[in-house]
Amino acid sequence: MSESPQIFTLQQVVSSIRKTIEERYNRTYWVKAEMHKLGRTRAGHCYPELVQKEEGKIVAEMRGTIWKHSFERINQRFMQVVKEPLKEDTTLLMNVKVSFHEIYGMSLQISDIDPNYSLGELQRERAETLKKLQKNGLIDANQGIDFPLLPKRVAVISADSSKGLSDFMKVINENSWGYRFFTLLFPASLQGDQAEHSIIAQLNKIKKVQSHFDIVAIVRGGGGEVGMSCYNNYNLCKAIATFPLPVLTGIGHSTNLTVAEMVSYRNAITPTELGDFLIQAFHNFSLPLKDAAKTIKVQSIQAVEVNKLQLGRTSSSFSAAVRGALGQEKLVLNGAKNEIKAGAKERIVFFKERISQVERSMASQGKMSLQLQHAQLRRITEQLPLHTKSSLLKNKNTFEHAVQSIRLMNPINVLKRGFSITTFNGKTIGESNNVKNGDVVSTRTAKFTIESEVITMKKADE
Amino acid sequence: MSKEIKYTEAFEELQQIVADIEDGEISVDELSVKVKRASELIKVCKTKLTSTEEDVNQILKELED
Repeated sequence: MSESPQIFTLQQVVSSIRKTIEERYNRTYWVKAEMHKLGRTRAGHCYPELVQKEEGKIVAEMRGTIWKHSFERINQRFMQVVKEPLKEDTTLLMNVKVSFHEIYGMSLQISDIDPNYSLGELQRERAETLKKLQKNGLIDANQGIDFPLLPKRVAVISADSSKGLSDFMKVINENSWGYRFFTLLFPASLQGDQAEHSIIAQLNKIKKVQSHFDIVAIVRGGGGEVGMSCYNNYNLCKAIATFPLPVLTGIGHSTNLTVAEMVSYRNAITPTELGDFLIQAFHNFSLPLKDAAKTIKVQSIQAVEVNKLQLGRTSSSFSAAVRGALGQEKLVLNGAKNEIKAGAKERIVFFKERISQVERSMASQGKMSLQLQHAQLRRITEQLPLHTKSSLLKNKNTFEHAVQSIRLMNPINVLKRGFSITTFNGKTIGESNNVKNGDVVSTRTAKFTIESEVITMKKADE
Repeated sequence: MSKEIKYTEAFEELQQIVADIEDGEISVDELSVKVKRASELIKVCKTKLTSTEEDVNQILKELED
């Protein structure tokens, strides 16, 4: 007999599988998996996609189920412990039961998620962000910027109409000193998953118009203490750290300081405190102005007073000095005057004496000299004719004698007395003008000239 | 930007004048000139505290470019 095969209904099969699975996986397990999508429905149940990745590739995938009441409980605990709601794309530690449903098939029914594990993951992310910033030398990059003397033009990154923003604006706009700020809001999501991209996008916008601003203020508040983990995100922290203007944070929370707050130029606990900080910066500018005005006034008056005093003192000591100097000079002058007077008198007497001396000696010497001259003159006068006469006489005698002598010496007179002169060739005969026999000589007598021939010649005796 | 540099410079110059006056480095001859200059600087700085010149429309226009 042919046995007809046993036929099962689908429900029978599925029920059987469910039974088998329920028996096999009869307890809960702790499973570590990445929650890719939360998949929350309107009814409040969640059907997250759970995956395991290895080197970026999905190596296992399964659907999860979180019933509404479980989800609410889990989320509440997350808010308390992690200060974050359940977040997609994070690795979670889940308490699961393998379940099989006749209609919906296999899934992991999630009854609990360990918030402490997630907290650890976040802290690990925070530590990693810090480490990476440190490694790239960005931790205090923003703090190295010069803070403007007056942080008066503020680019505000905040959620529109948030309490934090209004607190901040109230502090800086309603100050009692009349300080005026210029603010422009760059609206952004300040918490949760959107915050990272939203804030970075606004920072990039501000960078485009940075010449209009002195500082950037990231202001958050009134949004509770959740969704802060974005401030530990590396990309956001890097954007803040490397921003060309000082970025100030006032994101109001009481949990651990986030990395964003650490790398900002300055962190204020609350938006109000951030506003106070800016007001203080204005004070820091304003007070020196007031002090300067006061100092300049006081010091100027003092300087003028001191100069006045010095002038007074100098002029009185000057007149005293002048009086003293004049008295001194007068004394010296008087002394000199007396000296000159006495000296002059003495000199006059002295010269008078000299003059009369000279006069006296001149008178006596003159007389004597005159008498002497007179006597000489007289003597000369007396002697003069006497001398002349005798001299003339003497000269006459000499003259007459000379005439006589000359007459006696004429050869004619000699010839007359019988003497003759014999010449040869016109010259008297002597040693130099010798004659020899036969020579014709000429003889001159007083009356005649005789020519004769030499016959003999004998040397006359001497 | 130039206006901002101006008040920063004004502030610094003012501080210098105050320091000089305090140190007695300003003679009576210069005093009135310096005091006049200082009061101008104070005025410039005080105005900065209580007024703004930024134009929102200009910024928005630049953002659109």
